[in-house]
Amino acid sequence: MPMMKRLIDAVTLGSERPLRRLIAYYAVLVVALGILLFLYPAANALLMSGEITTSVSPQILQDGLNAPAFVQEALGPGSLGELLINTMLVIAGILALMLPVTWVYMSARRVPGHDQSLVQTLLILPIVVAGILLIVQNSLALAFSLAGVVAAVRFRTTLDETRDVVYIFLAIGVGFAGGVHMLAIGIFTSVAFNFVVLLTWRYDFGRNVLQPTAASQWSEPLKDLAKPTNGNGAGVPDRDVMLALTPKKAEALAERIDRVRKVLGPNKKNPRFNSVLSITSDTVGEAQALMQKALDKLTKRWVLDEVVTHVGKPSEVYYLVRLGKSMSRDEFITGIREKAGDRIAAIDLELGDGVATAQNGAAP
Amino acid sequence: MNARLGCLLFGGFMVWGGCRPTSPASRKGEAELSARGQRLTTSLANVGMARTSALAKWILPREMGEISGLTLMSDGRLLGHGDETGRVYVIDPRRGAMLKRFSIGSAVDARADFEGITTMEGRIILVASDGMLYEFAEGEDGERVGFIVHDTRLGHECEFEGVAFDSARGFLVLPCKRVGARKLRDQLVLYRWQLGGSRDSILAPLTIPLRTVIGSNPWKGLHPSDITVDPATGNYVLIAAQEKALIEITPSGELVRAIPLPGKHGQAEALALTPDGILIVGDEATNRSAALTLYRWPPTASTPGPP
Repeated sequence: MPMMKRLIDAVTLGSERPLRRLIAYYAVLVVALGILLFLYPAANALLMSGEITTSVSPQILQDGLNAPAFVQEALGPGSLGELLINTMLVIAGILALMLPVTWVYMSARRVPGHDQSLVQTLLILPIVVAGILLIVQNSLALAFSLAGVVAAVRFRTTLDETRDVVYIFLAIGVGFAGGVHMLAIGIFTSVAFNFVVLLTWRYDFGRNVLQPTAASQWSEPLKDLAKPTNGNGAGVPDRDVMLALTPKKAEALAERIDRVRKVLGPNKKNPRFNSVLSITSDTVGEAQALMQKALDKLTKRWVLDEVVTHVGKPSEVYYLVRLGKSMSRDEFITGIREKAGDRIAAIDLELGDGVATAQNGAAP
Repeated sequence: MNARLGCLLFGGFMVWGGCRPTSPASRKGEAELSARGQRLTTSLANVGMARTSALAKWILPREMGEISGLTLMSDGRLLGHGDETGRVYVIDPRRGAMLKRFSIGSAVDARADFEGITTMEGRIILVASDGMLYEFAEGEDGERVGFIVHDTRLGHECEFEGVAFDSARGFLVLPCKRVGARKLRDQLVLYRWQLGGSRDSILAPLTIPLRTVIGSNPWKGLHPSDITVDPATGNYVLIAAQEKALIEITPSGELVRAIPLPGKHGQAEALALTPDGILIVGDEATNRSAALTLYRWPPTASTPGPP
């Protein structure tokens, strides 16, 4: 597979666009198929079963006396060797056709995330279907037996998305094509399927104009939040940071904000805390014990917000504090340094809006 | 990127186009066929070569895997057919080339348990195991031809396994693989039927005691697979796949020879004889490919009489 990836990278000049990569893959496949047919012309029968050919141009039969005995006995038409080679080629062909289908399935999805078991099923199912068809062939009796077995062993599964069923149908179709030695039809079907799915996904074909796109469903609330003057007058100052958030990061941020809101208490004019104190220390336990005593003396109230431990660098400890009106930032930090300085690597204090305004106003 | 992609696609299609099966139309193909013809002539002329050695062997394509009958046309071409569908293959047996194939049936290939083929006054006859005869004319390559069905009404009496036209006497000879009548079960039975006639056209079957035919050979029975008429002598030559046997009898029912089949054969289901003494044996595909094997006729120097 790494070799195939390098080959596709070379053909697409490293492009990450799925459409280009898909075209490159099929180009490589066509060349590989050409080489295979050149070296093993009998493989042509796997692409287009001889049953549909109505005429034959005069053809030379293989010489059974002058050809090597092994070749004519073990690998000749209808021999066990030929059966093995053809079965292997059918399986390889099916895998080569279904591989890009799994890529398309994983990339061209309306909502992020995919079902791993379905991806694996898309590769395995057609091989099983082809194997069954190779056994059944034209036997009505075997077909009825198969129906009986399938009726006895029932599979029921629920797929997340309706479109996933189509992938399963395609897998069965390609398996059928391989099983009846009509891989040419399997090739055309899977190629058409992949490009149609990719293009409909790329251009969001069939979307209701009134319905927001999948991306906009999560980005719209963030955009609203990023407005300087939004509906509730609480716009986030850094608009770019807000718009750069992925759904996962936005969710984590929301959780954190929610936690802070709980700590801050109900929305009153005077919040319970007005500053955030952060320290870093190599000995968190000892630092916390010293900090507890210092904070009791220097603040009106305080609460431990979060401890972030690191390996190989000082851990971080965050406190929410309420400073008295007479306590300046410098006095507070000096006081902390005096009482716990030998256990603290760095210290920082972020003042709330009200405290900062008061202290700036008091400054000459 | 586009130029590179174009080159790859073009290269792929060029390779694709270059991998058609070898055709006699090509210069190389013609030379190969010519060499094969010369090799066969040389082998035939080589009196020092063992008579049981194969002169030539042609591997048949997969679609002929169930070859069930062979017959020679007056121009030396060989007709062969499969077991289940009415598809006829025309082969050049001396040079090993498939010349064409055609089917009987207007829309789809006629289906039956076809067991033998022969030619009769420019018409071709296929026989099914239930005694139905399918009469038709030769078709062009890939053509479908119409056919007429004749019911011998012998299906309950015999399971047929071949057919040959005795041109000297003007009737078809149909050997039984399994005989229905209890009193004939220890006999080798050959029905004789004049095409176009009614049931009255059935001549008395030719019967030879199996014990006489088997003689000292280690066969427990005899189940003929195909029959042909020796163009040189007019004798009937039968092949039995199960016993791997060759039987030659005169039209009056006298045994000429009963010998084991030369060479190794998985399932010899068909045979034909050329006027210049070449025996062609057709094998169904087993664990080996289906094949046509050519021997001298008769494959033994001496002519063993009845034991």
